[in-house]
Amino acid sequence: MERDNHCSFCSRAAVILGSDEKTRLCQDHLLEDLLRRVNDTIQTNNLIQPGDHIAVALSGGKDSTALILLLSSILKSRTDITVTAITIDEGITGYREETLQNAKNMVKILGINHYILSFAELFGKDLDHLLLGKTHRACTICGVLRRKALTVAARTIGATKIATGHNRDDEAQSVLMNVMRGDITRLVQDSREGSPGLFLPRIKPLSAIYEKELLIYLYVTGHYIELPECPYASTALRREIREIISLFRYKHPEACDGLIDFRDKVRNCNLLTPDPNTIQHCRICKEPCNGDICQACLILRPTIPKYQL
Amino acid sequence: MQIILPDKSSRIISKDNVPIREILLDLGFAPSGVIVIKNGSVVPDDLIAGDDDEIRIIKIAHGG
Ligand SMILES: [Zn+2]
Ligand SMILES: [Zn+2]
Repeated sequence: MERDNHCSFCSRAAVILGSDEKTRLCQDHLLEDLLRRVNDTIQTNNLIQPGDHIAVALSGGKDSTALILLLSSILKSRTDITVTAITIDEGITGYREETLQNAKNMVKILGINHYILSFAELFGKDLDHLLLGKTHRACTICGVLRRKALTVAARTIGATKIATGHNRDDEAQSVLMNVMRGDITRLVQDSREGSPGLFLPRIKPLSAIYEKELLIYLYVTGHYIELPECPYASTALRREIREIISLFRYKHPEACDGLIDFRDKVRNCNLLTPDPNTIQHCRICKEPCNGDICQACLILRPTIPKYQL
Repeated sequence: MQIILPDKSSRIISKDNVPIREILLDLGFAPSGVIVIKNGSVVPDDLIAGDDDEIRIIKIAHGG
């Protein structure tokens, strides 16, 4: 017998269950719900202030595509806020071409400025070449370098903040990963505030939204494009953690919330308030970092002469 | 019913009036990791599928 599949708020067909698993939402009410929750995240955490120039990290994958769509909609009446999309082209053959094209299409549709910076331009080599013989560390290396490239790009365009498309699943995965690595510094690190003259604040407006909601939103609004998965992703611990959590979520729906709750409680204990006096500047690139040489320069040094001092 | 898997391959399973969520779990997919298209429309996975239905499963790729 067919179950009644009407939206809980109107007569249209539902496309998703609400986060309480009881309400049913049609396409329009899903969008309304997403906008409300993203707005809540922004307001509650005071993520955006008048005068901000937000660099939206737009890889062209699903999360960043949803981010730029939702953020543009929320900020469309705010003439005091500037949004620029930044795409970092790591240079991953067979993967980057399509996502880059999708990013270009999105900014065109939305009429947003776009700044593209490639690893080759910035570091002298693309990721494929930087990874030769080191593919087992691909995600770590790429993550460190992409972070640096984003910072450089955001500073170049004069942004005051970097917004990334991290969703609630990503957040939960990061908690479990950091716990499994025993990395309490990463666990409690909160990059929302930034630090004047040192780090640009990094904000995650989608941190309350599950990736399934984002994909369904893209699908029903015609923005879903089947994109290849990064060829290096299979090497990552995150992939396995992701499987574990999604299976757990089915059996124990509160598992994801519990992980994030745990992180927030640990954060509130202020175990590791960073002492601004311990922050040094990298000897090579002069970026602020915790040691003598920053993570990015440590990676680049063996292969690229300009990082060899 | 006809199932179209994320890799585009399809298979027929002979089940009638089963919750889609059960089919997903039988096939080894976590419900939070996929979206379900029933006869061309995205649907919540608590719906029931019958013998004449076509169910397409899209796996949520990580990243981006
Ligand atoms: Zn509705
Ligand atoms: Zn450096």
